[in-house]
Amino acid sequence: MGSRGQEITLIIDGREVGATEGEMLHDAAKRGDVEIPVFCYEPKLGEPVGACRMCLVEIEGIPKLQTSCSTPVRDGMVVHTRTDQVKHAQSAVVEFLLVNHPLDCPVCDKGGECPLQDISMGWGPGKSRFTDPKRHFQKPLELSPLVAIDRERCILCYRCVRFSQEVSEDEQLQLLDRGDRTFVGTFDDRPYVAPFHGNITDLCPVGALTNYTYRFRARPWDIEQAGSVCTLCPSQCNVSFTIRDEEVVRVVARDNAEVDDGWLCDRGRYGFEMFVAEERVRGPRLRGGVEVSWEEAIAKAAAALEAGGAQSAAIVGDASNEEGYLVQRIMREALGSPNIDSRPSSGPARETLVKLAQPEISARVRDIDDAGVILVLGTDPLHSSPILDLRIRKAIRRNGAKLAVATEAPTTLDGGATAVARYAPGGATHFLSDLANGLRNPDQGEASEIAETLRDAESVVVIWGDRIAREGAGAATALLDVASALELGGKDGSGLLEVPDFTNARGLREAGCLPDASPGLTATATGKDTESIRAALESGELKTLLLFGVDPLRDFPDTEAWKKALAAADHIVAFSTFETATTAMADVVFPLETHAEKDGTVSHPDGRLQRVRPSASRPGDIRPNWGVLAELSLTLGHDTNISSQPSAFAALANTVPFYAGITDSDIGGRGIRWQEAVPERAGGAGSPDTEPKAPTPPAETAPAPRRAASAEAAPPAPPAAGSLALSTYRDLWAGPITELNPPLRFLAPQQRVELSVSDAQRLGLSSGEEVSVSRNGSSVLARVAIKERVPEGTCLLIEGTAEGNANGLLNGSRVSVQIEKIVAA
Amino acid sequence: MSPESGFEAHNAQSLPVDPSLVEGRVPDRPPEQVPELHEVDCPPELRERIEALMSRYPDRRSVSIPALWAVQRLYGWCTPQGIRQAAAVMRVTPAYLESVASFYDLLHTEPVGTHKVAVCTNISCWMRGGDELLDAFRAAVGDEADFFVTGFECLGACDISPMASIDERYFGPLEAAEAQTAIEQLRAGDAVLPEKALEKRPLPGGPDA
Amino acid sequence: MPETRLLLKNAEDPALRTLDGYKGYGGYATLEKAYREMEAEDVLKELEDSGLRGRGGAGFSMGKKASFLPRGEMQKYLCCNADESEPGAFKDRELMQRNPHQLIEGIAIAALAAGAGHAFIFIRGEYDLQADILDMAVAEAYEAGYLGEDILGTRRDLQLIVHRGAGAYICGEETALLDALEGKRGNPRLKPPFPAVQGLYGGPTLINNVETLSNVPHIVSNGAEWFRGFGTEQSPGTKVVSVSGCVRRPGNYEVELGIPTRELIMDLAGGPAEGHELKAFYPGGSSSPVLKAEEGLDLPYSFEAMAEAGSMLGSGSIIVADDRVSIPHMALRTARFYHHESCGKCTPCREGTNWTVKMLERVVRGEATPMDLDIISSVQENIIGHCLCVLGDSMAMPVGAMVRKFREEFEVVIAENQTELVTA
Ligand SMILES: Cc1cc2nc3c(=O)[nH]c(=O)nc-3n(C[C@H](O)[C@H](O)[C@H](O)COP(=O)(O)O)c2cc1C
Ligand code: SF4
Ligand code: FES
Repeated sequence: MGSRGQEITLIIDGREVGATEGEMLHDAAKRGDVEIPVFCYEPKLGEPVGACRMCLVEIEGIPKLQTSCSTPVRDGMVVHTRTDQVKHAQSAVVEFLLVNHPLDCPVCDKGGECPLQDISMGWGPGKSRFTDPKRHFQKPLELSPLVAIDRERCILCYRCVRFSQEVSEDEQLQLLDRGDRTFVGTFDDRPYVAPFHGNITDLCPVGALTNYTYRFRARPWDIEQAGSVCTLCPSQCNVSFTIRDEEVVRVVARDNAEVDDGWLCDRGRYGFEMFVAEERVRGPRLRGGVEVSWEEAIAKAAAALEAGGAQSAAIVGDASNEEGYLVQRIMREALGSPNIDSRPSSGPARETLVKLAQPEISARVRDIDDAGVILVLGTDPLHSSPILDLRIRKAIRRNGAKLAVATEAPTTLDGGATAVARYAPGGATHFLSDLANGLRNPDQGEASEIAETLRDAESVVVIWGDRIAREGAGAATALLDVASALELGGKDGSGLLEVPDFTNARGLREAGCLPDASPGLTATATGKDTESIRAALESGELKTLLLFGVDPLRDFPDTEAWKKALAAADHIVAFSTFETATTAMADVVFPLETHAEKDGTVSHPDGRLQRVRPSASRPGDIRPNWGVLAELSLTLGHDTNISSQPSAFAALANTVPFYAGITDSDIGGRGIRWQEAVPERAGGAGSPDTEPKAPTPPAETAPAPRRAASAEAAPPAPPAAGSLALSTYRDLWAGPITELNPPLRFLAPQQRVELSVSDAQRLGLSSGEEVSVSRNGSSVLARVAIKERVPEGTCLLIEGTAEGNANGLLNGSRVSVQIEKIVAA
Repeated sequence: MSPESGFEAHNAQSLPVDPSLVEGRVPDRPPEQVPELHEVDCPPELRERIEALMSRYPDRRSVSIPALWAVQRLYGWCTPQGIRQAAAVMRVTPAYLESVASFYDLLHTEPVGTHKVAVCTNISCWMRGGDELLDAFRAAVGDEADFFVTGFECLGACDISPMASIDERYFGPLEAAEAQTAIEQLRAGDAVLPEKALEKRPLPGGPDA
Repeated sequence: MPETRLLLKNAEDPALRTLDGYKGYGGYATLEKAYREMEAEDVLKELEDSGLRGRGGAGFSMGKKASFLPRGEMQKYLCCNADESEPGAFKDRELMQRNPHQLIEGIAIAALAAGAGHAFIFIRGEYDLQADILDMAVAEAYEAGYLGEDILGTRRDLQLIVHRGAGAYICGEETALLDALEGKRGNPRLKPPFPAVQGLYGGPTLINNVETLSNVPHIVSNGAEWFRGFGTEQSPGTKVVSVSGCVRRPGNYEVELGIPTRELIMDLAGGPAEGHELKAFYPGGSSSPVLKAEEGLDLPYSFEAMAEAGSMLGSGSIIVADDRVSIPHMALRTARFYHHESCGKCTPCREGTNWTVKMLERVVRGEATPMDLDIISSVQENIIGHCLCVLGDSMAMPVGAMVRKFREEFEVVIAENQTELVTA
């Protein structure tokens, strides 16, 4: 895959076709408008396998027909795709494929969008001479709770099993038996449960693999496709919603190599039933569920905020850039309050964020493909940004990238890593400053194995979880120090790629949802971050709280403290998609749109501005959120002059220097990285009413300190005897995604405490038994899960579960816990 | 509008709504990923055998067939439990090993009798009575679970056709009547048809001239 | 005319199996000579000049194939193909069982020529006895320093592993063999890349048949000229021929390539039983198009002559059918084999073998019409040249030939619904 040859020309069916040396004949032909039918060929799956034989063509000078899917083009090659010999071969293959195919198109979900149907029509013999009995299987069977398999329809193209082997590498889906008895299945008929398995339903060229969530729900002629962006995690994959009667009935990938490589995780694919869940907030209401008119709700909200005035605060989470931008304007301009944040607790100061945002040390998602070394730092992409997991596996498998993993806890990528380092919970800062030293002076150090792997790499992409920054100011500084030690600025294809907790964290930061930065990360009067907002509410220093797309009681550390804070607040105005424990405490609740309904932009962690487009109708009495915010501001006596989504974006683009001049058409269907938006157009033709601005954040690139000699740099003290250091993570499946989507319900994680074999022995614990995990006072119930790769002295809990949420134990600093058996009374 | 009522609206008179849209499906059993050793209590001898094999090959996956042979030798066939144990040692999914096992005729993913008799029914043996020999063995065994009698493709011993592989050793040429004898000898634990063992057979052309 | 035994020389002596026995007949002297006195290039040259052709089926020049391997430091591999699963073939079994050290010596010398540091003998799982014998012999050879590290103090290494298959004919196909060795299902790979360039674990790999490799010590010790003294211009050397089916003395006969086929079948193997006529035979295993008696008996038994006659020498296995054998039934047996063994990876082979069997079953049940014979022929044509490997062709060619050459017999079978077959 990696590098490509030079431009050449070949002759296909008598016409000259330009191509790139080494690309496959099928692809070259396609660009020359010559269609060669394929079944097994799918470049996204890696090397061609040449199994189905559908794509046979004639190449002059080669006696036998060749499979065009696996034949690299050469200059001057002369190819025939419609000679009698080729036609004969292709119709023979179609006839063979149909020998065992049931031809039950009328009752098949694939009907109308089925490659087998199309190719049979276009290249088949029209009738089959096969009169003997076909093979039979029990059908349809439950391959997984989400995917049905009809083995009689399977044409054994290998796509699904290759996905499982070579893309997601879960290796659960396999071919069993041999010859024409071969069938697709799993070990011992277990369910195929893996976070990306839904992709096989996109890949299957026949009706053998279909989604239970879509079976019998629509036919191709009564649906339409609507392109948007999935905002269920920071990956922001491009999706296409299948809409029937203004409702989402299916989600499929909308291939964007810059973002998702054409894959989707099951979260994004099946997480659409919740759009119409009972728990959905369908209109404005007051405390206690009293439904009110929009006018009344807005008036009440305005009154609450007015009452708070400068003693109001806002926390923004699941929001578009425009919504974030408007919220901070309400705070800063209408209320004169600097207290606004978009992070679960705290984070780096503006200066540091500016340095982190410098284009020369920022990596694109695509850079992962050709990276020499990938460093995964303080996060497990599978849980925090799933699609990156596939991207990293691809880089290793196909382009020989090396992987280094440095985390508190085991990750799903460890198996393919060249070097793995485990630091104690809360020890990232110390690890990083060690690594920086290790890189600068090649002597040994704790981080040396990782340093060895990174040293003199052609290019390095550092994928880092923003939660390490919560360890304190030192963490981000240490990270910058590592970046400069690696000379990321100098090497192209190198850079940092952040994995934030919130989907649109980057966009919200750049839109000014920070306590110390207004839009464009520009300096401003410093207010309180989320953690201090909580404290100030509790102490009464702050009066009114505006929550936009956040649920502190589930998602933020230290649940108890948040309960106190919310109880102490005079007024709470909450914008929320669903009813939550938090909305139950709010005085006014406004409904939020989902990414199937919203119109707005979001910013990918790599700086790509993407457009979320309204695809489905809004249930109930939901209104566009930008409009609600504009009206709220107006009611507060401050006119934002925003009358439409485009004007909202224009206002944002005019305020954020490095968005200057970017228009909706620049963003288009694929998005655009502001770092790559043509500078000379910045402030030019794109947006006449702004004077030229620098295309990058105010460059305060003082060289990073040689050493991050801050307090955090000290290694975390080992936990007291008998207790374990607690490491927590947000599980891919924790939260509304599994609670409000019936098809995904079976994936809802029960709280379990993962610990090492030796710790389990020491504490006399065995897998599956129920224990209480406690930290002075607060405790959660969990089941024991013994895991070989969990480091001794550490245990793991999940954040955001319905029961036993680990956030109940956290307090924003290092935590160690006791584990006790539950003695049945 | 909840999904199923939406569904009814569209397809009032047609197909039933899929239950997973309403309450979701629940798998009957957990999925099977790469098992950890402490989960499978692998017999030490099996574990050592497979680890020894892995140390000899440039790539650990190469040992899948030998590892499955080891499992089959230990349990009589490739039991799900045995496959999980081998998978845990090899650090692959059980599905991977089952897929491999199911590809090969000599690896059994279903229970089989302890004594294995494979009778060649391919061209040369067929010409010389392979089918009749197979029938004779089937008759001699009846439904005794201890024996596993199958017809088999060419075993590479057409020179002693019709022939059979009995507990992995070749015998032939066999008269149909000798099937009975062989089975009795197996039951009694005696040496099987000593004079018909392939090993005893001279070159047809005799010693070097 | 008697046999000409080079590979089967002294094979009647049970002691030959042991290291001492083998050395007693001068064994391993050539390995010592090659490792001590010869460069890879010299060995390679001898092999190329000898004109030794592969004995596994394709008949490709062994020396030339070895010379395709890139030179240089990368890890290279040698695989001995001992899968011998083609109906009618049992010569490799004989060679491994009676003279394992000859094969090991051949492998060691070929590995030297190819620059391979790792070698494997992939032996079909059914050959349990032969695999045990090889295991013993390999252990002896390691013990004696002919294998392992720093062989005979020449600072040359060779690791040799006997790898047992588990019952799949397709694993004899060289790229499927590689997948099987890598621990996967034995599916053939796309070619190119050819194994010589990118084979086992992605490294350059030389794959040769047991008999091919067993020839190597003789060639290197006596020289290419000597070897060319046997056989024909285009088919030098001797061939161990497996003769079976309707003959009085089935078994392996080692003869010079090019002797009249009649001598092999009628004299050495004794021909059909008293009072029966030879009807047809597969000259090169079940994959080779059958020849009628009158077509084939007087051809010289060589690669070129068999190719000219529209068939092939293949693995050098002759299956004889006499006048009692029903060709439609024989066609069915043949098709069933390939249907059972098809790996299922590519469409024409997977579905074509299945379809052919179903049609032939109807033919012998008398439930077919002559038009089905046309469909059978056309299906064979639709398979040939369209598959990923040649397993599909290996059914289509002989089955196609049988329908073509014995059409009236098929029609009779259909007509009379005759299913009985008298056996020898
Ligand atoms: C379906 C199929 C089965 C084969 N089986 C064998 C076999 O059992 N033994 C063998 O030596 N070659 C077999 N071959 C040929 C091998 O692919 C390969 O050509 C041969 O091993 C090369 O060795 P040689 O050049 O010494 O003949 C088979 C080929 C095909 C297509
Ligand atoms: S299930 Fe679909 S994708 Fe999988 S092998 Fe069959 S046809 Fe191909
Ligand atoms: S698409 Fe080329 S062989 Fe399947």
